[in-house]
Amino acid sequence: MLATEVVEARDLVKRFGELVALGGISFEVKKGEVFGLIGPNGAGKTTALRILATLLLPSAGYVRILGFDVLRDADKIRPVISYLAEDAGTYRNLSGYEYLSIVARIYFNSRTESERATEEAVRISGLGDRIMDKMKTYSKGMKRRVQIARVFMSKPKLAILDEPTSGLDVFHARHVREVIKDYVKEGGTAIISSHNMLEVEHLCSRVAFIHRGRVLDQDEPQAIKERYGVQNLEEAFVEVVGK
Amino acid sequence: MTKLRPLVEKEVKDLLRDPRVYIGLVVPIIMLPLISLVMSISMRTSLEVATRDLRVALMDLDETEVSGNFESILANLGLKVENINVGTLEAAIGEARSLGCKALLVIPRDFGEDLMDFRRVRVELYAIIDSVGIGSMGLYSAVDAALEGSSKLLSDMLISRLNPNLEAEALREPLDIIRSSVVKDTVIHAPPEAMFGQLVMGYSVLIPMILFILATTLTQLAATATAVENEEKTLETLLTFPVTRYSILMAKLLGSSLVAVLGAVLFTLGFLLYFQGMFTLPGMEDVMGGLFQAIQPPPPESYILLAVSLTLAILFVTSLGIAIGALSSDVRMSNSLLGVVTVPVMIPSFLVMYGELRTLPLALQLLIYALPTSYPMVLAKEMATSTVPIETIYGIPYSAALTFMVLYATSELLAPEKLLTLQYKLSLKRGRKGTSLRELG
Repeated sequence: MLATEVVEARDLVKRFGELVALGGISFEVKKGEVFGLIGPNGAGKTTALRILATLLLPSAGYVRILGFDVLRDADKIRPVISYLAEDAGTYRNLSGYEYLSIVARIYFNSRTESERATEEAVRISGLGDRIMDKMKTYSKGMKRRVQIARVFMSKPKLAILDEPTSGLDVFHARHVREVIKDYVKEGGTAIISSHNMLEVEHLCSRVAFIHRGRVLDQDEPQAIKERYGVQNLEEAFVEVVGK
Repeated sequence: MTKLRPLVEKEVKDLLRDPRVYIGLVVPIIMLPLISLVMSISMRTSLEVATRDLRVALMDLDETEVSGNFESILANLGLKVENINVGTLEAAIGEARSLGCKALLVIPRDFGEDLMDFRRVRVELYAIIDSVGIGSMGLYSAVDAALEGSSKLLSDMLISRLNPNLEAEALREPLDIIRSSVVKDTVIHAPPEAMFGQLVMGYSVLIPMILFILATTLTQLAATATAVENEEKTLETLLTFPVTRYSILMAKLLGSSLVAVLGAVLFTLGFLLYFQGMFTLPGMEDVMGGLFQAIQPPPPESYILLAVSLTLAILFVTSLGIAIGALSSDVRMSNSLLGVVTVPVMIPSFLVMYGELRTLPLALQLLIYALPTSYPMVLAKEMATSTVPIETIYGIPYSAALTFMVLYATSELLAPEKLLTLQYKLSLKRGRKGTSLRELG
């Protein structure tokens, strides 16, 4: 594994009984990249990200994050990653501020650090005074902003984002994308999944097409478009899947 | 520990602010005393109104001076006596009812003569029941009390006539029995029936009932709190935090237990206020009042044993609740599973509460002793009247072993790989394959 590689996945297989969710995928994510896993629903994106987030164990193959194996070193991986599930919910009866403060205290031991992280998360959320309201009063977009703030407050070395803008209106989606871009500018690394290929094209430095548990192609968006002689990634995906 | 505190804080705040939880906690402390107050006021008022004008019809078939005196005695004892002169009993009852009388008293012919000849006289009393309310009960007690009073006065009069130097009470009841009860080594100056009322209410019903409520509340709280995490998809996020799954489990155990104990305290207060209200009801004051102080508290070691077995029972039911919640994709599924699991667990609790453990069939005894929730109940029931039952001492290591097995299984279940796979399989069984495949991404 090279020093610049944050994620190294090799021949990754995941089976649920007879169902093969991942059929042996391989990819790497380098430091400072936003790597996109693109594919339709049921392609295996969430399963791959859950393995990276130490939630699921691979049936075969391996994944290393910053050199740590997800199978053996989950305890060492969890402090340096941050995971956003596709439909990550919120605690209805806590305010956004309380939730962020609780998470900060889990990630940071000193009170000063956790308070600083909470304030940073409040800034990232951009919710202003509404951050003090209970989260059951939040719209879907506001809840997603709190979750995005939660992901980046701990300054993770790897952010794992499953459909980060799914179901959000244009303003909230734009806000989320800006936060991801800012994080990468500051040296962070992210892996995101999406079936919104146009969004991914603008956000990701490299992408992998995933379909029925297999990676069909991966490269920089521009290189993929040139390879298939198409205008955008959506057309390229149709080309690849159609072959 | 530093990681545990924010997790517990999250659990407690999220639970206490949930209307389904705080309404459940507050209702007993408000409703139980309120019910007691309403019952007390209603009974008191109806009894006061009725006894102020307590009418009794008198069908005097004797019509002698003696029967006339008897009528005066009844009037002096607070009854309003209406004389009825009709031919038949049916007509007398009809007349009594139309006059608003609560009872009809029939004085037979030869009443005076038989009394004067020291023969026992049969007097018939017909209670006219218009209402079956609890308040009506007191009316007939008042009529009875007046009749007994009059009978006693007649007896005094007859004994005095026989020999003015005789002590009427000594003749009527030659044995003056002073009833006391011995509980363990303490002599309490109260008849055993009053003691049984007290003990049954306090130790056999009240404490086991509170423990039962605590156990069911805990299982429900822990299951709901965990199922909500699944439903709202927060558990998945929680399991990626840099905390051990034991911390997550402990936070849920502590959070649910704190809230459930608060609930139990409020319920107990409500229940005690309810019973306090009941004790002040007319006719109830003497049954139990004051006996709380009479019973010597159980020895301190029994409290220690109770605390240990209670803690184990709490850990057992809470981890059971967490396991149920963790396996449920939503609160509805959790509630369905709760019914299936908690009913067989709780049935032994009722057997302990209302049954005599040692007289139960062996299979039922084994069922009771198999569950850690039974031990604090057995202990609470027995500790006031006898020494600590030996089986409850043996039950401590057994409960501890079983509870730690359940705790271990629950913590294993909180391993995301197992949890997600089990949830996926359960979803498949519920026929939601499409959803699950989509969830797998």
